[in-house]
Amino acid sequence: MPWFQLRVNGSLHNVNVDANMPLLWVLRDVLKLKGTKFGCGVAQCGACTVHLNGRAVRSCATPAGLASGSEITTIEGLSPDGSHPVQKAWIELGVPQCGYCQPGQIMSASALLAANPQPDDEQIDSAMSGNICRCGTYPRIRAAIHKAAESKAS
Amino acid sequence: MSVATKITRRDFLRQTGVGTGALVFGCYISPKGLFAEDIFHQSVALNSFVRIEPLHGTIIIMANRSEMGQGIRSSLAAVLADELEADWSRVEVRQADAEADKYVVPNPVPGAHPTFLISDEGSQFADSSRSMAAYYLPMRLFGAGIRVVLVGAAARVFGIDPAQCEARQHKVWRKDGKGIVRSLDYGDPLLLLAAKKVAAPTPDEARAALKPSKQWNFIGKEMPFVDVRDMVTGKAGYGADADPGRPGMLTAMIVRCPVANGTVKNFDDKAARAVPGVKDVRKVLPDGFPIVGGVGGAFIPHAGVAVVAENTWAALQGRRALKVEWDLTQSPAAIANAKYESKAYRKELEASTASAGNKLRSRGDVDAAFALPHQVVEASYYVPHLAQAPMEPPVAVALYENGRWEIWCPTQGPDVAQHYVGLAMLYPKDPVAWLVWQVSELTEVKPWEQAAQQSFNEQLGKMLGLDQTALFKRRDELKQEVRDKVKVHVTLLGGGFGRKSKPDYAVEAAFLATQQPGVPIRVQWTREDDIQFSYYNAVNHQYLKAAIDAGGKATALLQRSAFTSFFATLFPPADPRLPTAANETFRLARAAFHSGGEYPFGSGIELGQGLEDMPFDLENLRLENCAAPSHIRVGWMRSVANIYHAFSICSFADELAIAAGRDGKDYLLELIGKGRILDLATLKAEGLENFDNNQFPVDPLMAQLSSGKSVQVLPGYPPDTGRLRAVVERVAQAAGWDEKVKQYKQQPKGRGLGIAAHRSFLAYVAMVIDASLADNVLTIHEIHAAIDCGIAVNPDRVRRRWRGASSMA
Repeated sequence: MPWFQLRVNGSLHNVNVDANMPLLWVLRDVLKLKGTKFGCGVAQCGACTVHLNGRAVRSCATPAGLASGSEITTIEGLSPDGSHPVQKAWIELGVPQCGYCQPGQIMSASALLAANPQPDDEQIDSAMSGNICRCGTYPRIRAAIHKAAESKAS
Repeated sequence: MSVATKITRRDFLRQTGVGTGALVFGCYISPKGLFAEDIFHQSVALNSFVRIEPLHGTIIIMANRSEMGQGIRSSLAAVLADELEADWSRVEVRQADAEADKYVVPNPVPGAHPTFLISDEGSQFADSSRSMAAYYLPMRLFGAGIRVVLVGAAARVFGIDPAQCEARQHKVWRKDGKGIVRSLDYGDPLLLLAAKKVAAPTPDEARAALKPSKQWNFIGKEMPFVDVRDMVTGKAGYGADADPGRPGMLTAMIVRCPVANGTVKNFDDKAARAVPGVKDVRKVLPDGFPIVGGVGGAFIPHAGVAVVAENTWAALQGRRALKVEWDLTQSPAAIANAKYESKAYRKELEASTASAGNKLRSRGDVDAAFALPHQVVEASYYVPHLAQAPMEPPVAVALYENGRWEIWCPTQGPDVAQHYVGLAMLYPKDPVAWLVWQVSELTEVKPWEQAAQQSFNEQLGKMLGLDQTALFKRRDELKQEVRDKVKVHVTLLGGGFGRKSKPDYAVEAAFLATQQPGVPIRVQWTREDDIQFSYYNAVNHQYLKAAIDAGGKATALLQRSAFTSFFATLFPPADPRLPTAANETFRLARAAFHSGGEYPFGSGIELGQGLEDMPFDLENLRLENCAAPSHIRVGWMRSVANIYHAFSICSFADELAIAAGRDGKDYLLELIGKGRILDLATLKAEGLENFDNNQFPVDPLMAQLSSGKSVQVLPGYPPDTGRLRAVVERVAQAAGWDEKVKQYKQQPKGRGLGIAAHRSFLAYVAMVIDASLADNVLTIHEIHAAIDCGIAVNPDRVRRRWRGASSMA
């Protein structure tokens, strides 16, 4: 198996795994970064969302080999202390219920706001449509994204 | 249960509530010296649920229920902390392991049956929407009782009468404000040492100390919840995140038999073993594992073959390469289950409801009413199997070492997991152990289950040649052995919805761990596994028929419901291969267990969810339950049998309104009739011997409403149609029903309102949906909901869950 390098949350890791292994399992099983969640394994639920060079991707369907050379950000690296505007908005509005999908939701939301600092409802719904929440926290997710957008603007 | 069953009500506060000061504090504070080491280094247990860290005074509250998004870790702690006058920022919530002897709470209601609030392993079982309803009062009594002890302790330190002290904001204060020291913090070692000399309050004294509702700090307020920060930073620990602190954890993926009760014939693991990272391939269940339950074997896993690997990806790849052949001929159950096909089964259920079933409730004469020249309306309703599909698929970590098992898993039933892991590991060849577990004191079961329980106890004793004393001794030893040898740690649940009350995945992990001592093994399910091997909510078919007279009034209703009972999963139907005595024993065990009823009919606790308690006020009424044999594992999902019963009866009410040419909301209110209580005597007069919706005896305090008013709760929770009416009226008003109905009538067809009202467990709910249909696209514009759940401890959490549940539906 080849050794290759992954840059995760600013740190460089040498990993020795099958290059086809999805990034999700490298993060969880090899690097022990367990904030990124497994939900479906086929890029249909969004629980495993991370950033690749700032763009939201589904780590369960991204071969680790392809992520080599990119800047990978996981929920652990979004902010050192939960102070990212999206995290703060999530806490303030108490978005999570069971919480399992929320790291993925937050990674999608933060990527959206980075690209579009003032999204409207439709843009939010479209950007977030790949992130499923079985507890149904959608209305609060949308409200929290607006809130984070406001706090970023001010 | 051996420890807990010996507790009497007198011990309520000592065992699970506030200690008799000396006894409880004495255990933890060394009497040798004022400043004994342990005061500074150990937290002080005030009872099973509460500890205080000396000096900094952090109050640690144990969560005995599992967190799956309902907010229970925060809400129950807040109830206790409120009565204790704790500072919420100094409260820490910790998750309890499975420990029934700590968390079985004697019933605080005098003379109540059963004598335990929720007995045995139900004590930690987060199910039936009852965590808050059951533990609200005990948590308040614990908090108030501990406050009384701390006030008494401060009075000793101050040298004044306790009446001159008051607890406020984590301190006990002198009311007179005199002296150099005017208050003592809860963490003050002087206070904690003095507390050991204070006699614990009796339950009645604790009750007398309960705060009036206007002094509540947390109850009824919008409280933040304790896990939110961890959840948004990725630190929150779910099942797959569990780390037993050992190197070399392996991951297993399992190929499971697609048919319940099927077995492994053989498998070819050559290709699987060739996958890099794959360490082993092996069967999950040992050969000859006994029949321990009904369809699918209760909470025992399906037969399967596991691929054990260094990481999840290797396990997945290995599983893809594995070839397994199944044997579906080894038992009558497997043969029947292999033929199961849900489309054909739907026809079977339709046929079942086409003729009379078991009569549950009846008044007047529906047949005579149907013979009159009235308008007759008929409808059928079908709800398929529903998979809970929590975001986090089932997963469990197990470690086996020196004859003991340690499990980490997201489970709704920590001690249910302990029970199944324990029996499956310790008695894999002994089905009798599974029956001995069902032996129960009569004080632990509901009054109407007592006769069946007693017969079961006697029958089993006879079968085993044991007298009752010896039988109970054997049961106690068995339970103690399981509790000694199996430790279950509860992680956060990434959603449960009923799926995670069945610990089959924990049992899989335990079986695999047993084969590799010292190595932690994680069994990871995929989404496909989760959907295919759910314990589905019952498939249901109903037939309803009503008569409407010339004036538009409904005069008669017949409702027949056929659903696959989850008791078919727990207890086997009669098996011709077993001796008569064994079949009879199983039958009795089933009947005694939560009103389990007769196969293939529904159990009491399913029938009590929206069928037997049908609230409509009709002259002629007949409710029937029709047969529905099970061929697939059945479990429960969220509101369980309420799902299909609310769906049918509320839809049918609308059909009747249309047939009568009436407004949907007005007609629904007319069907419900005037506010009245369907008390047990009324239900009995209509042929319903026992009404059991899986709740527990309750204290009148429970029914204090958020408005400050109290309503009395009667034994058995009879439906109160006044409360049902009230939510209908409230939701219609909030939705602007009357105006919108008028408005939509003037518009082209395609938009309208629907209304439904139901009592689910103990909450009365009504909803209005404003929807339109255009070009085959259904759009929901608005949903309005009214809920009367008694006190909403955290109203915001109720609102959120309700919104979420609406999205899910």
